[in-house]
Amino acid sequence: MNLLEIRELSVEFPAGEGSVKAVSRVSFDIREGETFGIIGESGSGKSVVGLALLRLLPANARVSGNICFAGKELFFLKPSELRKIRGKRISLMPQNPAGALNPALKNGLQIGEVFERRGIEKKEGMKKALGLMKKLFLQDPEKLCGLYPNQLSGGMRQRLIAAMSLSFEPELLIADEPTKGLDPEARAGAVELFTKIKNEYGKTMLLITHDLDLAHEVCDRIAVMYAGEIVELDEASKILHSPGHPYTKGLIRAHPRNGLVPLSGQSPSRIKLPEGCFFHERCRHAAVECSRRHPEIQNHKGGRIRCHLQFLQ
Amino acid sequence: MPSPVLAVNELKMSFGAAEVFKNVSFSVAPGETLGLFGKSGSGKTTIGRCIVGLEKPTDGEILVHGKNILAMGKKEFRDLRPKIQMIFQHPETSLDPRMKAFDSLVEPLRVRTGLKKAELLEKAEKLAELTGLRPEHLARYPNQLSGGEIQRVVLARIMSLSPDFVVADEPTSMLDVSVQAQILRLMQKVQRETGVSYLLISHDLDVLRKVCHRIAYLENGNITSIEDLRKKEVSKHARSRK
Amino acid sequence: MDNVFADRFRREGFLPQLGEYGGEFAKRVFQRKDMLFALAALVLFAGVALFAPLLSPYDPNAIDLKNKNLGPSEGHLLGTDYLGRDLLSRILIGARISLSIAFGVVLISLLVGIAAGCAAGYYGGLVDECISRVIDIFLSFPGVIFALTIMGVLGSGIFNLMLALSVVQWARYARLMRGQVLSLKKQEFVLSAVTSGAGDFHIIRRHIVPNAIAPLLVLATIDLGHVILSIATLSFLGIGLPADVPEWGAMLSAGKEFMRTAPHQTIFPGLAITFVVVIFSILGDGIRDILDPHHEGGEMY
Repeated sequence: MNLLEIRELSVEFPAGEGSVKAVSRVSFDIREGETFGIIGESGSGKSVVGLALLRLLPANARVSGNICFAGKELFFLKPSELRKIRGKRISLMPQNPAGALNPALKNGLQIGEVFERRGIEKKEGMKKALGLMKKLFLQDPEKLCGLYPNQLSGGMRQRLIAAMSLSFEPELLIADEPTKGLDPEARAGAVELFTKIKNEYGKTMLLITHDLDLAHEVCDRIAVMYAGEIVELDEASKILHSPGHPYTKGLIRAHPRNGLVPLSGQSPSRIKLPEGCFFHERCRHAAVECSRRHPEIQNHKGGRIRCHLQFLQ
Repeated sequence: MPSPVLAVNELKMSFGAAEVFKNVSFSVAPGETLGLFGKSGSGKTTIGRCIVGLEKPTDGEILVHGKNILAMGKKEFRDLRPKIQMIFQHPETSLDPRMKAFDSLVEPLRVRTGLKKAELLEKAEKLAELTGLRPEHLARYPNQLSGGEIQRVVLARIMSLSPDFVVADEPTSMLDVSVQAQILRLMQKVQRETGVSYLLISHDLDVLRKVCHRIAYLENGNITSIEDLRKKEVSKHARSRK
Repeated sequence: MDNVFADRFRREGFLPQLGEYGGEFAKRVFQRKDMLFALAALVLFAGVALFAPLLSPYDPNAIDLKNKNLGPSEGHLLGTDYLGRDLLSRILIGARISLSIAFGVVLISLLVGIAAGCAAGYYGGLVDECISRVIDIFLSFPGVIFALTIMGVLGSGIFNLMLALSVVQWARYARLMRGQVLSLKKQEFVLSAVTSGAGDFHIIRRHIVPNAIAPLLVLATIDLGHVILSIATLSFLGIGLPADVPEWGAMLSAGKEFMRTAPHQTIFPGLAITFVVVIFSILGDGIRDILDPHHEGGEMY
């Protein structure tokens, strides 16, 4: 069963004469219970997809397409209905754990506040949250509640936020760049954390990241985004071990452990996208066709890929 | 062995009773990249800042070409300063937001040499070529540049002073993987062309292993070991020959 | 949370990028109706002040006791005061005086404040300690009373008035500037200027002041209105300017005697003061909104 279906989602931001095409015609499904990863570089549009899901985009964004969550069309919901879904049924783990907690309030108060707003009995909610915190390897949660956020390490703050995000047992958890800026130890902790959330709670998760290691450890399926569109979508192990798209290949080779081979050139301007394949200027295999015709995404060996060069795969 | 560009002896830093690091000693040869590995909060950034003179260590000496910068007079140190440069971690605040990239790039030259606009343009062109920047990048403000492009401008700006030694403090930790590879490879290219030495500070051992000649490990405020990756390569070759 | 995302967008390059700072600023001003209105009113006001001697129908100090306390009429559009002087002419000339004093005061306080704030924030240590204490002392006096005391010592006059009000105002600019400098001097682009061997003066002039000045300009704009109000207050209390100088506060003060019989003598100068203060408030608010990135992007679609 698909919990979330995204069809032809496009997001543009007006800029001067033209517009910045942040996301163009992105379609994918998230099945119930699976962990779906979107990987891509900054500016690839992956975060915009996440924000569009919760309708958190700035007012000047022009959005088209459909997002269907548990049978409901998200773009047609009234604000009151949307609020019922936001935070409760779809929960977002913000990117920056330091900025997401109010530094002036003790941790316990902040967790309690989540329940207060939702009109749930606070004591009961707290009990549940404490249990959750214990499960997410936070030792001595009662003591933690008496501390201020700045007294916690980055990893601990992230777990605290994870506990807050999970406290309503959302059907879908969106994590936006959970490992950005963390040092290796905290990163290893985050991998452990998400594996745990996945295994113990069987949560459906959407993981937006540029961290290939995290994606590899946690995700079931992965979509690779480049210049606002999905270029490859397949099972995680297939994408990371035998990538089909030249961009995915380049991305994996650029990883320090795989040789630190840089991709030449830069992502194209999003106001004036190149003709043909968006990647052809940087592609080592680019053929004549690649600069003429924009490839459509097509089925290939069980996955989907957007590339003219079938022989490569 | 050529005389080191930089030697750090028994460097110690403490804030009140809290000791950040002590007994930090290492040296860097010309054209060499020394990696400094440590966890967050281990004081590795502070070591880098001490070397470029942004912070004063509690004790120890920092020798540049054999001269202790901590014992130098103000004038002497100011003349030496261009020779030791630093690349910072956060690209978004590394350039003045009110200055175009070109102005940031040539600022040190303008201040120190009083060159004319035409000469500055010529120099900027050479530096841009060295660091893979296009002229249109230089016409932009920092908020119109990506993190990778900013780090290129920063590198170009630093190289305009023809330094002997550059402290790079996590220069790629805020960048994407593919851009990280571009910047690190670029730094290597610049090193080959100019013979500059680097102290590369990072918490990513994979990165250090790929680009450094030697790696110093900072643990609990001490340099616990210095690993020479070149020797390993030699021994690997020797083994494969057998 | 919204701001986190707005920032994120900007950093990742999805939001329209700022072009040349000036051009973008002007464009945003024209998008705001309130600012456009205030700007037009300010231009009108400045024009009136500049050409006041040409525009005013009568000599503002010509006494005509036969026509005193007249209401608005064709001969005197806004009527006359208790000495028969034309009220419109006096208000027009008064605009000139108020505006030039206000600009003078704000300019002096801004310059002194920037210098003191830069020195305190940039050098820190003992310098900061000394300057900060002086700022605290100046901020601890209630403004108008402090100015009143200084005027009492110095005596009335345009220059003394400017001096007194500047002494009151500069400390606020200095404190704001100091805070700005403190956060700026830790930023990497300032540090890299330091490591490239640039001198302190160069760093302050090229990097610190241009990046720190925006909130000070906002404060200065709003202050222009406040200073005009303070001038009026001091004149109303009879201590600001010599009696023959047509100044709005002094006109209010003189007119209050005839509130029952000739209320226009207080209403028109009062309206003029209100008008100017409101214009500068709107402008100041608008500039702040435009310069502060956290004020936009909050709405959701």
